[in-house]
Amino acid sequence: MKKTKKKQNRFEELLEIPKEISSEEPKLTIMGFEELLIENYKSILEYQDFYVRLSTHIGIVNINGFELKLNEMTNDDILITGKIDSIDFEKTVDE
Amino acid sequence: MYTQILKNYLLGYVRVTIEGYFIERLINLCVKKGILLWKSNRKKSTLLETNVSIQDFKTIVEIAKQTKCRIKIKQKKGLPFVFHKYKKRKIFFIFLCFIVVGILFLSNFVWNIEIIGNSTIPTEEIIQSLKEEGLRIGIIKNKIDSKSIINKMRLNRNDLAWIGMEVKGTNVIVKIVEADKKPDIIPEDEYCNIVATKSGRIVKVNAVNGTPLVKEGDIIKEGTPLIGGWLEGKYTGTRYVHANGSVQAKVWYEEKEKIELKQVITSKTQSKETKYSVRINNFTINFYKTLSKFQKYDTIEENKKLKLFSDFYLPIEILKKTNYELVEQEKTYTKEEAKEIASNQAKMRLENQIKEKENILNTYINYQETENYIEAQVIYEVLEEIGTKEKIVF
Repeated sequence: MKKTKKKQNRFEELLEIPKEISSEEPKLTIMGFEELLIENYKSILEYQDFYVRLSTHIGIVNINGFELKLNEMTNDDILITGKIDSIDFEKTVDE
Repeated sequence: MYTQILKNYLLGYVRVTIEGYFIERLINLCVKKGILLWKSNRKKSTLLETNVSIQDFKTIVEIAKQTKCRIKIKQKKGLPFVFHKYKKRKIFFIFLCFIVVGILFLSNFVWNIEIIGNSTIPTEEIIQSLKEEGLRIGIIKNKIDSKSIINKMRLNRNDLAWIGMEVKGTNVIVKIVEADKKPDIIPEDEYCNIVATKSGRIVKVNAVNGTPLVKEGDIIKEGTPLIGGWLEGKYTGTRYVHANGSVQAKVWYEEKEKIELKQVITSKTQSKETKYSVRINNFTINFYKTLSKFQKYDTIEENKKLKLFSDFYLPIEILKKTNYELVEQEKTYTKEEAKEIASNQAKMRLENQIKEKENILNTYINYQETENYIEAQVIYEVLEEIGTKEKIVF
């Protein structure tokens, strides 16, 4: 398992493929304090006005804030707007 | 993303409230099935508001059944719903179509001709000659062959140096550059005299080539030869030449002005009335009684072409007539006042005739007084060049 991954990595480095395409790691982009774009997410675990919990391929992203809205949702990216207080992560995949 | 939202606006979308305990599951299912949800808002822990397009609404209802959520439509938005709203107003729609078709139809014609750049040629004359070449108000735009019209105009009229044509909306802008009239230039190798253009008294004769025929102090009339185009020599005999030289003379300009001592002066009062009428082509509709309520009045007519936007002229004109009430007053001038007015008016007219005002040598003013009127005669003495070349015809 480990070996194949390493091999893949080397191959991708050679071709200079961007990480977010090749791997399934999420990409988080924060614009100001009120917009958060998450690409490569898996599903929504919980959605409240003050709390959003998203699962990704490498773990869980928790977003705390107020008046959070899911503005644009597509298959692989999601835009959260509102007053974001904090973002924290929970790793599920062990190295 | 935004293109998708725009597409949804065109095809219609609904804002729904979803009530239930498994809203996260519902969202995940929606995302997996490729349903676009936007502007989602969690009102309460069991309530979600979101936008869904019409096509996806059926599937979201099914998903809601699966996840045991209740779904309600809150608002319908987008163009299909707007159209649906007006479906019952058929006449409104028919007229809307009518107006759109009418505007499209009317925009194919020329409804206004604008002429720019003419100062001496009257606008009506140019419009008239354009009409002869095939550009007139009411013609279809496609039929205008601007190149041939320009060529024809340039051939037929020699007072135009350049014509440009531009069709803008229903407006045709014709730009004109006027040509200066060419003086008849006599070639150097032909024989000519120098002839007076105005009558006056000779001040200076300076013949470069040719025989001077007049002396200083001579009084000449218009058309008198001043410098003859020949030379006489003892041995050569008469030899014809191209006369050249300058002749300066004092020229008198005269103007008379008569002022009656008793005059009726009309003046405007504050009151006025405005009347409107609409003209379509040559057919006029009046919105007023033709009789004015004033006894004496001045009428000022204005007409305005209706236009949409900046260049789309319509074949409809609005005529505005304004009547100003006039009051007559009798006034008697004293002789001094009358003299001043008369001489000033005469001077004004004279100064319009004279091009070079610095050459005015003397002014004479004579008054003729009677009991009823005063007549002023103003004479300007001006130093001018009066010679022009005239070909000798044998």
